[in-house]
Amino acid sequence: MNDRLQEIADELASVPRDLQVELLLEHARQFPPLPQRYQAARDAGLGRVHECQAEVYFFPEVTDDQHVHIHADIPGHAPTQRALVGILMDAYDGAPPAEVATIPNDLLRLLGVDGLLGPQRQRGFAGVLARLKHGVAEAAGPASEAAGSKSEAADQDGASA
Amino acid sequence: MPDYAHPEVLVSTDWVSKNLADTEHVRVIESNEDVLLYATGHLHNAVHADWQTDLQDPEVRDVISKDQFERLCSRLGIHPDTTLVFYGDQSNWWACYAFWTFKMFGHRDCRVMDGGRAKWEAEGRAMTTEVPSYPSTDYTAGEGHPEIRAMRDDVLAHMKEGGAMVDVRSPAEFIGEISHAPHNPASEAAMRAGHIPGASNVPWSRAAASDGTFKGRDELEAIYLEEQGLEAGDETIAYCRIGERSSHTWFVLTYLLGFDDVRNYDGSWTEWGNLVGVPVEKGLPEDDGTLAA
Repeated sequence: MNDRLQEIADELASVPRDLQVELLLEHARQFPPLPQRYQAARDAGLGRVHECQAEVYFFPEVTDDQHVHIHADIPGHAPTQRALVGILMDAYDGAPPAEVATIPNDLLRLLGVDGLLGPQRQRGFAGVLARLKHGVAEAAGPASEAAGSKSEAADQDGASA
Repeated sequence: MPDYAHPEVLVSTDWVSKNLADTEHVRVIESNEDVLLYATGHLHNAVHADWQTDLQDPEVRDVISKDQFERLCSRLGIHPDTTLVFYGDQSNWWACYAFWTFKMFGHRDCRVMDGGRAKWEAEGRAMTTEVPSYPSTDYTAGEGHPEIRAMRDDVLAHMKEGGAMVDVRSPAEFIGEISHAPHNPASEAAMRAGHIPGASNVPWSRAAASDGTFKGRDELEAIYLEEQGLEAGDETIAYCRIGERSSHTWFVLTYLLGFDDVRNYDGSWTEWGNLVGVPVEKGLPEDDGTLAA
């Protein structure tokens, strides 16, 4: 994970559950609105993450000079998704695509919120995270996608070692 | 709610509004899909019971034990004769799941607020972020109702006998066309797609009106009795993916239509679709032309 995500993780993981709820709600409140240019696509049902109970839409962007901008739309009645996706949008805005590919798959454990969410929600978020990484890799093009898979594989090797 | 078989278990937002101050006799309980939603604001005097962290065992894949249930009730200031009113997000899926759990442990007076959180909010009713605290009790659970839960062996035996089953998932899940989106581990939650042989497919949402309230008895009878041919006297099992949407249908069949013996299979597809050696059926049932609904 990058420095910004590490900073957020350190803060979240070091506080008791009540405060985690407050911090996550703060992230949920700061969730940015979907830019105007994506609203028609959203209304047409594009970008929908179907695995998610809440209506989550992703519109990952990679600029020509390889900077990631993740745009998303998540309803206000799904504050947990808003908080978690919002954290990633914040931490990886402007990052190179390969960095997104290295977001740890056990992110919720590293954030220290796995106990707060419980096992079923962790599974659900794993799908959201995988979709996000894939969307960014796709937006970045084939070269970057290959690099992404490589770093993901390296990450897994590290975990199993 | 006069038309339903057991109208007393369903209360209106008006009823809750008038009774939520009576904390000595009434405990309002919010149960949501989203674990943070309660903290963003909830009904005055309402407590929070989360399906994952309060109602399910953290180690074993199971509902909480009787001891854990008694501790939960004691912590929430509940007595065995307290009237419990459940409500939540997602058209009351988790409220119905919590209701089912409390019934299984034998709590007598459980009710559901019709329309759930969405209706309360749509009506512009008051909400608060203040978390209430009640003197803890020494709750002792009475005789439970394990018969409202189906375990996998019950389902297998029931299937072999040709018993009635309702699969309340979407038609795509029922048919077995689960989209295996690339890079999506969530779709691997079950190793096989399809449904339990003999089950009818009635998506849970067909029991709900657009405002999240339950449909009237006539409309429900038209769907479950006339169209699907289910009978109130038959043993019936409801299931979905993880047991929450099927709690909603279990509630409908048991309390709104007065079925005598409905069991919720909470292991649902995440269990059945991973079991070795159990039959799985794919595709449309032969006689059902209503799946597009």
